[in-house]
Amino acid sequence: MYLWLALFFFIIGGLEAMVLRAQLALPNNELISPETYNQLFTMHGTTMIFLVLMPALIGLGTYLIPLMIGANEMAFPRLNAFSLWMTFMGGTLLYFSFFAGGGPDAGWFNYAPLSENNYSSSHGVDYYLIGLILTGIGSIGAALNFVTTVLTLRAPDMKLNMLPLFVWMMFINGFLILAAFPLLNAGLFMMLIDRQFDAHFFIPSSGGSAILWQHFFWAFGHPEVYILALPAFGIISEVIPVFSRKPIFGYKFVASSTVAIALLAFGVWVHHMFAVGMSNTVNGFFAASSMLIGIPTGIKVINWIGTMYKGSIRMTVSMMFALAFLIDFTIGGLSGASFAIVPIDWQLTDTYYVVAHIHYVFLGGTAFGIFAGIFYWFPKITGRHLSEKLGKWHLWLFVFGFNMTFLLQHMLGILGMPRRIYTYPDLPYWKILNLISSIGAIFMFVAIGIFLYNIFITLKKPRSAEDNPWEAWTLEWSTPSPPNLKNFEQLPPIHSRRPLWDLNNPDNPDKRLN
Amino acid sequence: MQFPDIEITERLFLYFGIVAFIIFVLVVFFINRFTVKYRDKGEIPVQSGGNEKFEVGMIIIAVCITTFFLVMTLMGMKSIQTIPDNPKADLNIIGHQWWWEARYTESGVLTANEIHIPVGEKILLGLTSADVIHSWWIPDLGRKLDMIPGMKSYMWLYSEKEGEFLGACSEFCGAQHARMRIRVIVQSREDFEAWEQGQLKEAKFSSDALFNRGKQVFEERTCTNCHSITVNQDSADIGPNLTHFASRKHFLSDMKENNKENLRAWLKDPQQVKSGAKMPNFIFPEEELEALVHYLSNLK
Ligand code: HEC
Ligand code: HEM
Ligand SMILES: [Cu+2]
Ligand SMILES: [Cu+2]
Repeated sequence: MYLWLALFFFIIGGLEAMVLRAQLALPNNELISPETYNQLFTMHGTTMIFLVLMPALIGLGTYLIPLMIGANEMAFPRLNAFSLWMTFMGGTLLYFSFFAGGGPDAGWFNYAPLSENNYSSSHGVDYYLIGLILTGIGSIGAALNFVTTVLTLRAPDMKLNMLPLFVWMMFINGFLILAAFPLLNAGLFMMLIDRQFDAHFFIPSSGGSAILWQHFFWAFGHPEVYILALPAFGIISEVIPVFSRKPIFGYKFVASSTVAIALLAFGVWVHHMFAVGMSNTVNGFFAASSMLIGIPTGIKVINWIGTMYKGSIRMTVSMMFALAFLIDFTIGGLSGASFAIVPIDWQLTDTYYVVAHIHYVFLGGTAFGIFAGIFYWFPKITGRHLSEKLGKWHLWLFVFGFNMTFLLQHMLGILGMPRRIYTYPDLPYWKILNLISSIGAIFMFVAIGIFLYNIFITLKKPRSAEDNPWEAWTLEWSTPSPPNLKNFEQLPPIHSRRPLWDLNNPDNPDKRLN
Repeated sequence: MQFPDIEITERLFLYFGIVAFIIFVLVVFFINRFTVKYRDKGEIPVQSGGNEKFEVGMIIIAVCITTFFLVMTLMGMKSIQTIPDNPKADLNIIGHQWWWEARYTESGVLTANEIHIPVGEKILLGLTSADVIHSWWIPDLGRKLDMIPGMKSYMWLYSEKEGEFLGACSEFCGAQHARMRIRVIVQSREDFEAWEQGQLKEAKFSSDALFNRGKQVFEERTCTNCHSITVNQDSADIGPNLTHFASRKHFLSDMKENNKENLRAWLKDPQQVKSGAKMPNFIFPEEELEALVHYLSNLK
C-alpha cells in the first residue's frame, strides 16, 4: 500500500519536474508564469520527500522488518494502518490546495516571513502546514512501530547484534524519526497559529524571529536527510553482500557508524544556515560537526566496496542499481562535504550546485537504493520476477539521464545561477548547460515509463518465483514467495547473522553468536 | 589586506576539488576492478567478514583529511569575515521584493539596483531587508550574506579590478526572485567621486513643456507615494528612488536596458513586464504616457 502510494506520487512529482525542466530549457522562457513555477517546485520538493521517499522507505520497512526478524506481524498493526492513512490524507490535502486557490509557493522549507500571510496570501501554505503535520504524525506512528517491533518481536534466538543491517538501520532510523519529526510539527503548528490566529512567532515586523523558523526547520531537516539515507544504506548493505556471495565487510563498523551518523545528525543543522550571518564561532562549530559526520558515511562506502573484494559478483539489475548508488552517492556525499567548508558554502549555497547535490543524494542515493531494493524483493513480495531485460533498459537510461541532468548543474552553480529561479538571462554557457540538463530529464522520463511497464506486465504473469531465488540468507527468504498471511509456520535455527547460509552450508557455517 | 576573499575561497575549493577527485576516482576504479575481476564464476568465495586494522587505518586517514580542512576553513572564515565591533556600514543595502535599495552613509547618495564602488577599497556593507529574506551575492566579489528583516548583517565588499559585476538575490523571495538581479560597477576613485557628485544634485528642472507635463503627471498619479525624486534621506522608498533614474543603464533589477521603449512598456503595464511586481497598473492616456516617459528619461 505504502509502495503504491509512493509510486503514484513519484509519477506526479516527476511530471512536475518535467514541467520545471521544460520551463528552464531556454533562457527568458515564458512557458509558465513565475507564480506557477514557484508552486510547482515547492510541490515537487515536498512531494518527493514527504510523499515519495518517506512512504517508500516506511513501506519497505513495514513489509520487511517482521519477515527479516522472524516475526509474524508488526507490533501495532492498527497503528500501522493509521500511519498509512495519515500519510495519504496529508498528501491529499496538500494537493487539494490547487483547487482551493493555489498551491504552497514558499519552497519545501517554507521560510518565514515569506510564508506568512502578508507575503503568501493564498491558502497554499496552510494546506502545506496541515498536510505535513498529518504525514508527520504518520511517520512518527510508523517509527514507533518499527522500534517496538524490533525490540519485542524478534525471533527468540536473534540477538540485537545479529539483526540484518537493513533492520538495524530502520531501527536506528526509528529513533531519528521520533526525535526529529516532533520538532517539525512544533514549528508547523506555530506557523499555523501565526497564519490562522495572527500570532507573531516568525514575523519580525511585530517582534517575532524569522530565523527561529529556520532553526526549527533544519533541526528537523538535517536529521530528515539521514532519515531518508539510512534505509537506503540498509538496502545496499543487504543487496551487495548477497550478490557478491560474501558477508558484509565490517558488520560492526557499518552498524556502529550508523549510530554515529544518527547522533551527529542532530548537531549539524546550522550548515544549512551558514549564509544567515551567525558568528564565526557558531559557524566554526557546525563546520566541525558537519565534517565529522562525513567520516562514518565514508566508512560505509569503503565497506560496501570492500564487500565485493574477492567476492563472486552477480550483475543483476538490483546489484547494478546498488553500484550506481555507490558512485552517484559518492558524488553527492563529496559535494555535501564541500558545504562544510564554510567559505565554499558562502559562495555556493542556494545555487544550482545545491540542486545538483540534493538530487545526487536523494535520487542518485536514496531512490537508486529503493530501485535496488524493489528489484531485489519484488519476487518475495509478489511471487514474480521483474524482467531483467527491461530492468537494464530502465537502469541505463535512468542513470545516463540522471547524470546528464544533474552533473553539469554543479557548473551552473559555480557560474552563478541561483536556485529556485523560474527563468534566467542568457549569460555565457547558461543556455547550453540548462538545455543539456532538460534533455537529460527526458531520458529519465522514458526510463520511468519502462519501469511502470515492467511492473505492469510482470504483475500479469503467473507466479513463478522460488522461495530464495537469489540464494540470500536472511529469514524472509525462508518463506514462500509471496509469504503466507502468517509469515512463519516454523523458523529455521538462528545462530548467526545468516541463518539460511548456515542451513545451506552446514559444512561451512558462520561463527555462532548465541 | 592579505588575500581578497575570492582567492581564499578559490584556493579552498581547489584543495577540496583535488581531494574529492582522488576519492571519486578511487571509488570508481575499485568498483570497476572488482566487478570485472571477481565476476561470478559459480564458485563460493572465502567468507571473510572484514579487516579491523584496515578500517581503523581508513578512519585515521579520514580524520587527518578532515582536520586539515577544518583548520583551513577556520582560517579562511576568519580572514573573510572579521567585522569590527560597533560596525558602521559605508554602504547600506536594503532588500525589497524585487529590487535593491542602496544608501551611501558618508555622501548620502540614494540609488537602486546599480551599485557603484571605488576600486581597491574595502567597503563595509550593511545588509537588511524591508520585507522577506533576500540574500546578497556577487559571485566574483566575495561571499553571500542573507538580508533578514529586523536584523542587520555586515560583510566586506572589495574588488581589485574595475568593471561591471553581475549578481543575484540568492534566497527565494517570492514571485520575481528570478528577476532580482544586481549590477556592481567598480570604478576608479575619480570616476566614483564624479558619479557621487552627479547623484547628489537635486532633481533636474527644465523649461521643456513636455518635461513639466510629465512631472505633473508623476505628481498627480500618486507615483510620489512610492518613489521619490529628491535626495532627501527620509523620502519614500517603497519603490526605487528615481531622482537620477536616467543615469542608470538598466532598470527593474537589471532586467531591462534603460531606454524609452522599455520604459514605456513598463509604465503601460508593469504586470505584463514583470508579473507580480509591487507596482500597480495605471491606465494612462497616450499623452500622459508620452510625457512621463520623456520626463523620466531626462532625469539624468
Ligand atoms: C505602490 C507603489 C508604487 C507606485 C504608486 C508606483 N510605483 Fe513605480 N515601482 C514600484 C516598485 C515596487 C518598483 C520596483 C519594481 C521591481 O523592480 O520589482 C517600481 C519601479 C518603477 C520604475 C523602475 C525603477 C528602476 O530603477 O528599476 C519606474 C521607472 C517606476 N516605477 C515609475 C513609476 C511611475 C511613473 C509611477 C506613477 C505613475 C509609479 N512608478 C508608481 C512601486 C510603485
Ligand atoms: C526522488 C526523486 C527526487 C527528489 C527527492 C527531488 C527533490 C527535490 C527537492 C527537495 C527540490 C528542492 C525544492 C525546493 O527548492 O523547495 C527539488 C527541486 C527540483 N528538482 Fe527534484 N527531486 C527528485 C527528482 C527530480 C527529477 C527526476 C527531476 C528532473 C526531471 C527533478 C528536477 C528538479 C528541478 C528542476 C527542481 C527545481 C530547481 C529550482 O528551481 O531550484 N527532480 N527536487
Ligand atoms: Cu530577494
Ligand atoms: Cu530572492
